[in-house]
This record gives sequence, C-alpha cells and structure tokens, in this order.
Amino acid sequence: MTTLNRRALLGAGLGAAALPFLPRAAYAAGSVTGAVYPGGWDEALRAVLTPALKQAHNVDASYEPLFAVDQIAKARASRGVAPFDVFVLDPGPRVQGIDLNLYEPFDASKLSNRAKLPSGYADQYGAGVAAQVVGIAYNPKKLPKPAGWRDLFKPEYASRLGLTGFGTTFGTVSLIEMAKVFGGSETDVEPLFTELRKILPQVAAVAQPAAMPGLFQQGQIDVMYTNTYTVSLLKSRGVDIEFALPETGGVAFGTTMHIAKGAKNMEQAYQYIDTMISTGVQSGLAQAPFFFVPVNTEVTPGPDVPMRSIADLSKFVTHDWAKINPLRARWIDRFNREMAK
Amino acid sequence: MDERGAWRLALPLAVAQILFFLAPLLILAATSFATDENLVAFSHQAWADVVADGFNLRATWNTLRLGGLTVIATVVLAVPLALLHLAAGPGLKKVILLAAVLPLLTSVVVRTFSWIAILGREGVINNVLVGTGITAGPVPLLQTEHGLILALTQIEMPLMLLPLIASMGRIDPALLDASAALGASLFRTLRKVVLPMALPGLLAGATLVFASAATAFISQSVIGGGRLAYLPYLVWQQAMVVFNWPLAAALALTLMVSVIIVVLALSALGRKIADA
Repeated sequence: MTTLNRRALLGAGLGAAALPFLPRAAYAAGSVTGAVYPGGWDEALRAVLTPALKQAHNVDASYEPLFAVDQIAKARASRGVAPFDVFVLDPGPRVQGIDLNLYEPFDASKLSNRAKLPSGYADQYGAGVAAQVVGIAYNPKKLPKPAGWRDLFKPEYASRLGLTGFGTTFGTVSLIEMAKVFGGSETDVEPLFTELRKILPQVAAVAQPAAMPGLFQQGQIDVMYTNTYTVSLLKSRGVDIEFALPETGGVAFGTTMHIAKGAKNMEQAYQYIDTMISTGVQSGLAQAPFFFVPVNTEVTPGPDVPMRSIADLSKFVTHDWAKINPLRARWIDRFNREMAK
Repeated sequence: MDERGAWRLALPLAVAQILFFLAPLLILAATSFATDENLVAFSHQAWADVVADGFNLRATWNTLRLGGLTVIATVVLAVPLALLHLAAGPGLKKVILLAAVLPLLTSVVVRTFSWIAILGREGVINNVLVGTGITAGPVPLLQTEHGLILALTQIEMPLMLLPLIASMGRIDPALLDASAALGASLFRTLRKVVLPMALPGLLAGATLVFASAATAFISQSVIGGGRLAYLPYLVWQQAMVVFNWPLAAALALTLMVSVIIVVLALSALGRKIADA
C-alpha cells in the first residue's frame, strides 16, 4: 500500500491546480470565447454552433452570457483587455462599439461563407449572423388582430398593453415607429409621449424587457411589441400568441458579430463567425426550439417570420442608429419619468 | 501570542478589506465627481443632478419607504410566529424553524418569478377573489407598491424571524413563571418581559430586512415594474444602458449612505433601549 506523505499530496494538488493554466492548444486546434445573449441565444449556440465549430475546425467554443449593452460596458470597463474574443450585438450597441473603437478591423474575405450573405452583411467592422423582425404580438383569444401601431392606443388594446422603454433595441425601434404614426420621426419621439400620457392610466403593465414574455404568458398583458423569435418561442410552449405585421411595415435589424480589440484567438474568431453563418448552422438555428431569422440566403425562415428569404429584408423598416444613439440616453430618462407614478 | 499581538491575526482580513472594499469604494466616490472615464477631469455635476432633481429624490424616498414598510410587515407577521415558536413543543418548534428557513433554500430569482404567478391578473390571488365573487374583476397587484411589499415580506421573512427566534430562545422560562406568579396577565408579561428581551433580535432583524428590501434589485424591477422608480434599478440603468457612470456612482452612493443612516439609527435606538 502506498502511503501518501505531505509532500506528495502537495505536489499532486499543485499539479491539479495548474491544469487550467496550461495552454488550451494542448487539447484542440484552439479555442474561442464568444459573448452570447443569455437565455435562448446561449442555449442555441451551445447546441448548434459548438459541435459544428468543433467538427469543422477542431476549435472549442466557450461562451460568456451577456446582453449587448453589458458586453459594451464590460469591454469598456476592462480598458483594452478583451474579456472575450467575439461580440454579438444589436445595431445600437454595434455603433457604440464602433465609436468607442472596441473592434479589430474585420477582413470579410476570410469568411468562406461570405457569398451566402446578402450584400452589405459583412463590412470592415464585422458580419451579420441573424436578423430580428419586430412587430406586434397579441393573444388571438382575447383580442382581434391589430392593424398597426395606432391600434395599440385604442382603449381595448391599451388596457391589455405591456409597455417597455428605450433600454433595448426592439423597444426603441417599436416606440420610434409609434412616434412616426403620430407625426414624429426617428429623431423626434415627442408625439409618442403625448399619446402615451393619455393611455397610461389604462395600460396593463410597464415592465423591464426581460419580464415581458412572462407577463404575457401569465395573462397580465395580451398585447406587446416584440420580435418573431419571442412569439415562436412562447407559441412552442403552448401560449396563445400571434405575430402581427404593422400596416406601416415590420421593423427589421441585424444582429452582428465583431472581433474584440486585442482578441487573443484571432484565427479561431474568424472560424467561429464563418461557422455561425454556414448553411448547416443557420438552418439548425432557424428551426424549433431556436427560431432564429437566418441571414444565409440558402436557408428559409420559419413559419412565424413574415418573409420567404433574407432577401425580403429590404422591404422592412430599418433605422439609423448613428442618429438614434446620441438621443437614446435622454429618451430612456424621459421614459422613466413619464411612466413613474 | 500575547494579547497585544492579537491584532496581527486580523491583518489579512484588514488588508483584503482595504484592497477589495475600501479602494473600490473610493474609486466609486471619485467616479461620481468625474467628467470622463479616465478620472482626469472632475465636476460636481452628477451630485447636482441627484440633489436638484425631484425624480431622483423621489426614487430615494420610495426606496427607503419600501424598506420601512417591508420591515413593518415582517415584524407584524414574525412576532406572533416567534411567540408560537417560544410556546411550542419540540416537534412544532422544528416545523416552524424549517418553514422559516425553507425560503432561503430557493433562489431569490425563482421566488420573485413565482410571485408573478401569484399576483398576476390571472394569478392565484385574483382567481380566488374573482372565483368566490369577493371582487367583480381582477384587482391590480402586480406592479403596485403593496404587491411588491407583499412579495418582499415573504422573501425577507427569514431575516426577521431567525434573529427573533434566537433572541426569544434566550429568555429564561423562570422569568415568565415569575411574572405570572406576581399576578401579571399573559398580555402584560408579553409587553413587559418578552418583547423588551426580544428587542435586540427584533432590531437585528429590522436592520437586515431594511437593507435587503431597499436594495432588492430583482424583486423591485420584476414585481414593481416600470412605474415604480427605485434607486437600485436607476443605478443599473445609468451604469449599464446609458453609460452615465458619474450619475450611476452618485446614485449608488446615495443609496448606500441613506441605507447606512437608517441602519445606524436602528442600532442607536437599540443601544438606547438597552441602556434604559
């Protein structure tokens, strides 16, 4: 029988403690850390992207679950040391990242799947990896289908409406579209606040964006603005919910990936993004239970997405975030104050 | 080691506190006066925004009020329960203690979201109210201050109940017998003997519940919703969404200082009563 003396035990312990510090290359052709939105995105990428990346490039992917704004905040707070290799962002935070110089210059020619993206989906900052289509979600058992944004301000809808502010991309673009209906514009949401003040006493809930699906599921609200992804997801869990495209047009925006300034795993980061837009991964992500809107032209979007292919995206309303971002802080603050009892 | 050298034992903790608590706190204070993220230029703009802005002041008041009302609600429910524990036999004692600790074993996120299912328009409470005909339609509970206090009372209850049970458990049963033998009624014994002796536990519980309820970011934002403004959510929003770090820092310090003032007042009250 071997007797363990103190020195041997200490040595073994130190050896085990040092394991995580060994170069990762010892295990695989490399690794990459991607930021990922918590929840659905996190699950989807682990299930679909991770095995595809391992198979295609022998690269291990790990994820850091962070919302877009948190990724920018974290990258900013870490002052030059990239906390992960790849960002995944909505257009507002994307433009902020460009302004703050948080990305490595992006060479789209390194993507083998570039030709499968619509033109303009890969540029010197990064590449589009998914799209979001935003409109109105309603409970068809409680309410007739709304025709557009204006309907939400009618008493029968307003009393069942869930409001959320300018803190998220989908919230911001929806509120801008409502403002437009009442005479406002991309840079003038004042008419919206005038209308909101009229319906506020009846409104069913004013909530944080992440709480909206739960409030809908619980019947606290029966109409809200959201993306097709949330509608498909709730529907798959048995919730009575349908997506309605507003008469003024659905809103669409891209979700993009960017390589973080000073990223340690440059080559793997390109492989990660390239695999993300590959036909196999995009079609896997478009299906249940993930319901992504694909950006790969070879992949057909799911049944709740009101388009046949990503090429239709040009028919949707888009916004200029370089104009929106400077105004957004004021709008967020204004929304807080207008909503406060 | 002699007694004079004993302070050295506390040295590692002191160093850790200075490095990981005091230093970040000073950086936070410096940030609240900064005008750029590299802490080069300074102004008192953020503090002027906090002090001169009725909205921020109201949010501060709402936050403290929420803490205060939660303390009152937990006291009202915890005192009878602690008395029951005092009077109970060993079997019942265990059941009460288990019921008190049980909520601590569930994550606060889970507890918060289950309250949505309870307080919602089609939630448990409203189903009962409407089903039994007590009210004609659903009563608004979610996204109201009283709904939030109700949820926080359950969430924070162990923090009140456990110190209270502990301090009541230390009361010598002979004192209760003596009080009764001297002709005091049950109520008088409760008022003159049990409650004064349980006061340290009550104040400890009040301190914990107040500090925890006033800073309960998840419960406040999920159950309270967007129409009730509380400081923790504003701090998060300014720091993470708006990127106004000086204002976020100033609001964070406002929250910390106002909570500390209330906590100090509670402990001063405790000392005063103990001396009397």
